[in-house]
Amino acid sequence: MALVNNNALAIVLCSVLALPTAFGTAQAQDQCLTCHSTLEDNASTAFKGDIHFRNGLTCASCHGGDSHTDDMEKAMGTAAGFIGVPKGDRISVACAKCHSDAGVMVKKYNSAIPLDQMELVEGSVHGKLSTSGREHIAQCTSCHGAHGIVTKTNRSSPVHPLNLPATCTKCHSDATFMRTYNPSLPVDQLEKYKTSVHGKRNKNGDPKTAECASCHGSHEILSAKDPRSQVHPTKLPATCAKCHSDATYMKPYGIASDQFEQFARSVHGQALLEKKDLGAPACNDCHGNHGAAPPGVESVSKVCGTCHALNAELFSSSPHKKAFDSRKLPECETCHGNHEIVAAKDELLGVGEGAVCAWCHKENSNIKGYQIARTMRSLADSLIASEENAIMLVDEAEQKGMEVGEAKFKLREIRQARLETRTKVHSFDLDQFSEVATRGFGSAAKVSTEASQAIDQYYFRRWGLFIASLIITILAFALYISIRRIEKEQVQNR
Amino acid sequence: MKTLWNRTFTWIDERVQLSDVMHFLEKKSVPVHSHSVWYYFGGVSLFLFIIQVVTGILLLLYYKGSEELAFESIQFIMAKVEFGWLIRSIHSWAANLFILSAFIHMFSVLFEKAYRKPRELTWLSGMILLFLGMGFGFSGYLLPWNEVSFFATKVGTDIAGVLPVVGEPLMVFLRGGEDVTGATLSRFFGFHVAVLPGIFTVVLGLHLLLVQRQGMSKPLSYERLPATDQKTMPFFPNFMLRDLLLWLLVLNLLAILAVFFPWELGVKADQFAPAPAGIKPEWYFMFMFQTLKYIPGELWFLEGEVVGILLFSLAGVVWMFIPFWDKKSSRGEENRFINYIGLFALIYIIILTTIGWLS
Repeated sequence: MALVNNNALAIVLCSVLALPTAFGTAQAQDQCLTCHSTLEDNASTAFKGDIHFRNGLTCASCHGGDSHTDDMEKAMGTAAGFIGVPKGDRISVACAKCHSDAGVMVKKYNSAIPLDQMELVEGSVHGKLSTSGREHIAQCTSCHGAHGIVTKTNRSSPVHPLNLPATCTKCHSDATFMRTYNPSLPVDQLEKYKTSVHGKRNKNGDPKTAECASCHGSHEILSAKDPRSQVHPTKLPATCAKCHSDATYMKPYGIASDQFEQFARSVHGQALLEKKDLGAPACNDCHGNHGAAPPGVESVSKVCGTCHALNAELFSSSPHKKAFDSRKLPECETCHGNHEIVAAKDELLGVGEGAVCAWCHKENSNIKGYQIARTMRSLADSLIASEENAIMLVDEAEQKGMEVGEAKFKLREIRQARLETRTKVHSFDLDQFSEVATRGFGSAAKVSTEASQAIDQYYFRRWGLFIASLIITILAFALYISIRRIEKEQVQNR
Repeated sequence: MKTLWNRTFTWIDERVQLSDVMHFLEKKSVPVHSHSVWYYFGGVSLFLFIIQVVTGILLLLYYKGSEELAFESIQFIMAKVEFGWLIRSIHSWAANLFILSAFIHMFSVLFEKAYRKPRELTWLSGMILLFLGMGFGFSGYLLPWNEVSFFATKVGTDIAGVLPVVGEPLMVFLRGGEDVTGATLSRFFGFHVAVLPGIFTVVLGLHLLLVQRQGMSKPLSYERLPATDQKTMPFFPNFMLRDLLLWLLVLNLLAILAVFFPWELGVKADQFAPAPAGIKPEWYFMFMFQTLKYIPGELWFLEGEVVGILLFSLAGVVWMFIPFWDKKSSRGEENRFINYIGLFALIYIIILTTIGWLS
């Protein structure tokens, strides 16, 4: 795919490659533009609306040559430094000649545009070598266009927030082109974006909603797998929070701005942000990334189920599925919350304080669910107590120096059963729950017996030693007496 | 009862002339002097060796000498086999006490100059037994296939590997390949339960035969006493019963150690895991290991470690052949030089072992 039109490219560079001597009054004497305007070509026409033209740059600023003379041979001669249409990296080099120069940008034009754009692009995913190996993948003109360059706040700019999705997808939606660089990278981002809340608002002309650069950055774009990227899972929540945690920014949309704080306190947030566990979900894992939107009430369990598959499956086949859907209750979220999901402890189960079951199941109404919840909690508590007792006995036996490797290994079976009961809760079926709990009790009993035997064995050994030692000592003493007697007899016999 | 005993004795005596042996034992006497206590350490070493043989055979009933099963089989012995924990702990403790007792025996013989003519071969065979005992310790250390033993064997065989000319082939021979693997375990198991016991039994037989044939050595100071002042005691039953008394005390000590300080099994060896900190050899190799740590990387034109090993080898050879170059003691003259050497070696071993153990 041709990233830029060569003719357009040749002309636009004059807006960037501005030689200091060509500024100011030079524009009035720009013979290049005078002649090309008479030809009414696209480049010269567009250049008249270009910000660089308005700031006094001429065609020669980018293309070289002498713009003061109307003699074509002199103006476009090599002696005058004419370079024609820059190709490949020479395009970006021409732009950077001014845009990376504080002397030009700050002193001359008093510009606040950052000077490190070229440096950032070179370090970005777009700064890698193209398939030809002769140039970087993207040049400045790939996104900003040429000759008709305007500020990014100008609605006609290709990098204006409302135009940017289309600009990026010129390449990113081109499967043939993208395959040559990253065959596994999807090319349907724009289609997904159109379905997102961001995309819909963007289409309706809201430049405040997130577009490509809001999340990926502009010149510094890196692969999402790169830990430095602002869309890397560990950084994504903070990236989303740039807008979503800004109460003023979010006010017109009427949505809360405390999601990031909640997420950071959640079990997911702690795993992802503190432990850097990439298995934990970031915002996009539940909301989607390019197609970001809140999950629907009925699809919450499917979303959570992408990781918590067994829980989701059990819930979907449980009586609660229908009950929740009919009451328009978001599935997992009703009990566990959304952004601030805390570790699911056994306290959530049952009918006591902090238990979520009791929200709907009361002692005098909806009694069956109340009883099941209470029994499940009772079994869960008993299993925890059995596990703690088994651990205590194993530790005691180990501290006494007994070999309890096998019993220690079997502790895992109790833990496994305990964790499994937490999953089985989502079936809301007492039989299924009891089956697993009973298995855990069986393992706990086995481990406790083994550990107790080891402790008994410890005392048996000490008593055994005492008795054996006593026998040996008596024998030794008897032997000593015998020796004394024999030697006494020997002395007497002499 | 006495009649039955007499009849049994007579029955055996008629066939193998047991009374000749009894007569020999009755005639055999042991010198009594202020250093007589050192005579017992030979017997203690023998007793501990017998315990090693018996407990070793019992362990063999359950031990599996393969990379996959060695650790688990010891775990099984410790946890499931009746009194397996006791047998294994006694085997491990007796092994260490055996080396300690053999060291004491060796130094007592050295300081008493008991190696002098005509007991040169007794000393030589004793030294071979000590080296074989250390070989038992080195090979047996790996058999539980735990983390510490695995890396200690790796370090130990590495040290053997730096010897010039023979080092590399020796290391490959010991390991059964380039690295310490399951092949090394099988090999060490073979050394521990077949090769070393076979050689040890022959050399021990020779050593005991020489001791019985030549009798107990008399210290030079004792020999100079008038014949009437040279006190003795009958070997049988006096010395033998005293030996038995000491053996009972050693047995008691072993039982206490095995119960109060059961030999730990540790964590199963993982060949791909990094070496844990503080890998140490068995205590009787510690003084050599510690010395090698102090020797600079390069000494003269040679690698420091090579120089260290060569010096230890040389010292070992000189030590082993003491009876052949200490002519003074053989002539019945005092040789204080030997005492100084012995004292230096003893202090050196104690200090370096302590430093190594504490570091």
